[in-house]
Amino acid sequence: MTATVAPTVGPGRVPEPLPELIGQLEQTWRDEPGILGWIKSVDHKSIALRYMITAFVFFLLAGLQALGMRAQLARPENTLLGPDLYNQFFTVHGTTMMFLFAVPVMQAVGLYFVPMMVGTRNVAFPKLNAYGYWTYLFGGLFIYAEWWFLNSGPDVGWFSYVPLANSVFTPGKRADVWAQGVTFTEIASLAAAVEIIVTVFKLRAPGMTLNRLPLFVWAMVVQSFMVLFAMPWVATATQFLAWERLVSTHFFDPTRGGDPLLWQHLFWFFGHPEVYIIFVPALGMVSSVVTAFTRRHVFGYPAMVLSLISTGVLGFGLWVHHMFATGIPQLSESFFTAASMVIAIPTGVQIFCWIATIWDGRPRFTVPFLWVIGFVVVFIIGGFSGVMVASVPFDRQVHDSYFIVAHFHYVLIGGAVFPLLGAFYYWFPKVTGRMLGERLGRWQFWLFFIGMNLTFFPMHQLGFEGMPRRVYTYLPETGWGPLNLLASIGAATLAVSVILLIVNVWSSLRRGLPAGDNPWDADTLEWATTSPPRPYNFALIPVVDGRGPVWRHPEGLPVFGGLRTDVRDVLLTTLLDAEPDSRHRHPVPTIWPLHAAIATTITFVSLIYTPWGAVVGFPLLFIAFVGWAWPRGRDHREQQVIEAERPVEVAS
Amino acid sequence: MTGPRVVGSAANLPTTTFGHRSLVWWGTVGFMLIEGTTLFICAASYFYLHHRVSSWPPAGTPRPSLLAPAVQVVLMLLSIIPVAKADRAARQLDVAGVRVNLVLASLFAIAMCVVRGFEFAALNVRWDTNAYGSIAWANVVAHGTLLLLETAETLVFTALVFSPNLEQRDIAGVSDNSLYWYFMTGSWVILAAIVYLSPYLS
Ligand code: HEM
Ligand SMILES: [Cu+2]
Repeated sequence: MTATVAPTVGPGRVPEPLPELIGQLEQTWRDEPGILGWIKSVDHKSIALRYMITAFVFFLLAGLQALGMRAQLARPENTLLGPDLYNQFFTVHGTTMMFLFAVPVMQAVGLYFVPMMVGTRNVAFPKLNAYGYWTYLFGGLFIYAEWWFLNSGPDVGWFSYVPLANSVFTPGKRADVWAQGVTFTEIASLAAAVEIIVTVFKLRAPGMTLNRLPLFVWAMVVQSFMVLFAMPWVATATQFLAWERLVSTHFFDPTRGGDPLLWQHLFWFFGHPEVYIIFVPALGMVSSVVTAFTRRHVFGYPAMVLSLISTGVLGFGLWVHHMFATGIPQLSESFFTAASMVIAIPTGVQIFCWIATIWDGRPRFTVPFLWVIGFVVVFIIGGFSGVMVASVPFDRQVHDSYFIVAHFHYVLIGGAVFPLLGAFYYWFPKVTGRMLGERLGRWQFWLFFIGMNLTFFPMHQLGFEGMPRRVYTYLPETGWGPLNLLASIGAATLAVSVILLIVNVWSSLRRGLPAGDNPWDADTLEWATTSPPRPYNFALIPVVDGRGPVWRHPEGLPVFGGLRTDVRDVLLTTLLDAEPDSRHRHPVPTIWPLHAAIATTITFVSLIYTPWGAVVGFPLLFIAFVGWAWPRGRDHREQQVIEAERPVEVAS
Repeated sequence: MTGPRVVGSAANLPTTTFGHRSLVWWGTVGFMLIEGTTLFICAASYFYLHHRVSSWPPAGTPRPSLLAPAVQVVLMLLSIIPVAKADRAARQLDVAGVRVNLVLASLFAIAMCVVRGFEFAALNVRWDTNAYGSIAWANVVAHGTLLLLETAETLVFTALVFSPNLEQRDIAGVSDNSLYWYFMTGSWVILAAIVYLSPYLS
């Protein structure tokens, strides 16, 4: 049954077919009702939204830990958190921020918007997507449950160096919880990376050639490839560590031919790209916001794309700079110093292109745009201290001091949180159909900007004065008291800002202004459909004939017809030119991804306590896999569909 | 209000495609990249630990035996025959051919899992003896997860092609399964050379 077409066209929108066909599309694509339907959903929007909310909750939890630490450090010899609790606080804070907040939230935004921006109806593998989310959720819950209920909160730092993390120095289960907890999140982010890559490669709307891809989509593709090549390093490392502790292997044990530095290499081969894995999607978000708020395409599209790609590639070259203090040979030291500085170039190119775009356009200084400005300022400070750290002699001086804490928070908060919050204000209307409050938004921005600098700027000075990181307290004679108090006041300011954000969301959901389809007059395809989007995203698949399709067709986009409305049909196009190539039937809602995630959880968690966990876990995984893969052609509706499909010619 | 400009129709596009035209093929390639990276890391760690010591295996640790891995490599190379035939049959939508060859492939897969057990014994060292033993085991275990996954997938496909639920588009999956099989075989030829032969070279 083909969606034949009749008119309902608004400006820049994808036209809609006849109302009864719309009804059928709705019927075909929507989630099943009720709580079970919610669980079974394979809609990328439902899943990505869950992902974002979960990541935000983890951000709040890690923020509470940060507040706890700042309260403890506000004055010398404070006794709020003892050393043991403080160790758990900074470890869980760092681990949560990196693995449970920053990476997942970026991927979640990608999982929501990439399919819409390329003009399709779902991600490439909807069941895998659901599985990834559940695995991520269970991994996070697992870490927190172990911490709160079993006193097994990880406490050896977010990079869990051996020998500190081996079973001699860290008996008990704390380091295992860290290792396995992190493994969960790696599986989830690998799944998301494959989703995004294949969605972009094969599900683009007809005519969306690679050089018409929105910059945010490019950024997500680059990030996904980085995830693909970086995450296996830490996954292998965490498995080695888990085995070291569970079955007494000796990878990192120098007395039996092992080497603790192997851990550091494996970890930083992931850990350095990790920073760019967080940062590259943020660059894409900035480009989206700059485009919409200057009403200009970002200047120098090829330069932008090349910078994204080279940031991704260079990101891998730099891991050794985290190990300068370990005494690697001189030659490679200077190589890596140079390489650390080289990465400033592609980022500089992008900043230059944005500034040129802003210069040329008439920027509207509404809230999303403020965050972009904030990003540039904060990130440049962080980049500057980074170039300082990249010089080997300087690094020896400030190594493991508060200078480093200041530096990486400038980079991470400036480079990721600012763009993310900008993107949040920008895309919130699309997701919910309502605008966020502008006045509250401004207050929130300024409190965050001031709070951020109050918290972290003094830490540079503390680092020079020799205050080491990861200490739970300090003596009054050090003279570090006043600057620490200032930093803690800054942290409280940040907390107020985050509360304002929550208030803003809450009041907007209750009585925010209706957003309409395209409130910012932006150019990419997600704005060419309703807010919030329908389950099928687009009733008819848009056809793209240039960059910024929505601006090119104020009269309504040209469309592609002929997809079925009675099954979940998606259109596949060719890799380079996005020529229409075939139709693919997407899965209907299913509970099996959840079962598979539960089986994964049982396996990993029991493996912390006994090697026999594998014997229980693998059969469960196998069952879940069968349930997942077995085609569901049995129900009546689907059977009819198969009948209808019988005489189909095969192309190879 | 104007009517939408419909510039093309998907109605006559195929629904069963093979190779890089199909979604699952790309998913398979994605997982091969992930697994390939993981195996590469295991092999790199092997050499990293190797280069830190003067004798490899360490004094007192015997070298691995070669029989089991040799049998395994031969099995895997032979298994390519039915797997490639299943692939070709799938592309021709020849269900009978797919059935026969998938049954053969399943038998091979089970045999390979059994031989994998002997391969562990052939390492002649325990994982907890020294770092050499740990990393040798790690390589064989890491590849073992691929073997398990491929076996599970092949068994499921074999059941599927005999089931009344079979649809034309499922058959394309057989072809992607073959791709993964080649990858599993190729990666083991390399890893087996590293783990079982390289100790004889030093
Ligand atoms: C929002 C306000 C934030 C505050 C007030 C804050 C505060 C802190 C403090 C006090 C420490 C411990 C320093 C020490 O004792 O060594 C710390 C460590 C850390 N933070 Fe944050 N942080 C914030 C946001 C973030 C964000 C957004 C990220 C990442 C995306 C992050 C990542 C880390 C990491 C990786 C560590 C190191 C943990 C370790 O030493 O193992 N933080 N932070
Ligand atoms: Cu780095």
